[in-house]
Amino acid sequence: MKFNTNSNTYIIIYSVVMVVIVAVLLSVAALGLAPRQQANMLNEKKTQIVKALGEDPATVAYDSVITKAVILDASGAVVSEDVAEVFAALNDLKASFAAERYPLFVATSGVVVPLYGAGLWGPIWGYIALGTDMNTVKGIVLDHSGETPGLGAEITTPKHQAMYPGKTVYEGDAIVGVTLKKGGADKSNPHEVDAITGGTKTSDGVTAMISDCLNYYKPYFDAARAAATEVEAESNTINE
Amino acid sequence: MASKSLKNLTGPLSGNNPVIVQILGICSALAVTVQLKPAIVMGLSVMVVTAFSNLVMSLLRNGVPSRIRIIVQLVVIATLVILVDQVLKAFVYDVSKQLSVYVGLIITNCIVMGRVEAFALQNKPWDSFLDGIGNGLGYGSILVIIAFFRELLGSGTLFGFRIIPESWYIAEGGFYSNCGLMLFPPMALIIVGCIIWAHRSFNKDLQEK
Repeated sequence: MKFNTNSNTYIIIYSVVMVVIVAVLLSVAALGLAPRQQANMLNEKKTQIVKALGEDPATVAYDSVITKAVILDASGAVVSEDVAEVFAALNDLKASFAAERYPLFVATSGVVVPLYGAGLWGPIWGYIALGTDMNTVKGIVLDHSGETPGLGAEITTPKHQAMYPGKTVYEGDAIVGVTLKKGGADKSNPHEVDAITGGTKTSDGVTAMISDCLNYYKPYFDAARAAATEVEAESNTINE
Repeated sequence: MASKSLKNLTGPLSGNNPVIVQILGICSALAVTVQLKPAIVMGLSVMVVTAFSNLVMSLLRNGVPSRIRIIVQLVVIATLVILVDQVLKAFVYDVSKQLSVYVGLIITNCIVMGRVEAFALQNKPWDSFLDGIGNGLGYGSILVIIAFFRELLGSGTLFGFRIIPESWYIAEGGFYSNCGLMLFPPMALIIVGCIIWAHRSFNKDLQEK
């Protein structure tokens, strides 16, 4: 049996059959592995949120520290408390921010704010946790897609991220965030940490990202701070 | 399994190495060798793809219309790469994140298509499979050598563990600092050059008269 493998009919049938087989194979693989992949992605987000709070994700479960996940609008009002919706908003944070939908995680010890910004070569993102005073940084997690290894990519190292806890983001009534200071931070300034040596552009990106993203949540923070001051004032009155 | 089959496996490790003798797959050798772990996973992924694309193309070799054989090769290779990518994402998520786009770029690795075109289309499935494994290993071994030097001299670590003591660094009052150039692709190219130099000095038959 010998057919002409170069006839047009044979080539067309061959291609069609090949494409159908490949399509079926890939669809089966994609559908079969999708639940595992999505679980991985969701798990990674939860791990990072717990890490941002300064807890060890290996021992502390997400559910035990986060009391609720919400989406806020531009005025700081809660528009959704659906957990699935909040995580869906995280998948495209840039679009969510643009649509004035701001996901926020409320923990027993503070809040966790997702971050999204631009590094030198591509997007950078992460989570920053603030204490119940909405001012003191409890911790930060930073990640990137393509910063230079050893330079800009150092933002992901524990060494860099350990500098943030204890810093404050409010200066008076304005949110200034945390600045990554080239040449080393002024130790007396509560809004500064050391920039990455050789990663100035990435450091500037992180600075801008923190202040931009926190400012989206300003109405919510202001309200929470006002409420806290009122409670304090009331307790002072009672004491008197 | 005669000695001829075995030669398909061992040849690409040294005398016919895809990276340092045929000078193929240089691009990804520069991109994923900053650290050892991604280099090893990349080497293994390429090995799986070369082995199975060789096997599949060798099985199909008598039925493939020669006029569209390059397209067929691409479809087979791309399918395998997507499968590898999906499996990595599902089972070793961390590593797959680290390798990011480079897994997808295995499709464009010249070694894969080069072996299919040059070997699998003329040889039996078993020989082709071994040739694929051999070439994947040959590629991976060079990646590991490059990554060893780049991670050690560039970051002072191996597999993420600190090898050069923290106290040696200038910041801690020592005398040492990492070679920042090691973290950039040009240095990988220079290391490849050094490996080729050493390799050719030991293998006189590779030298042109």
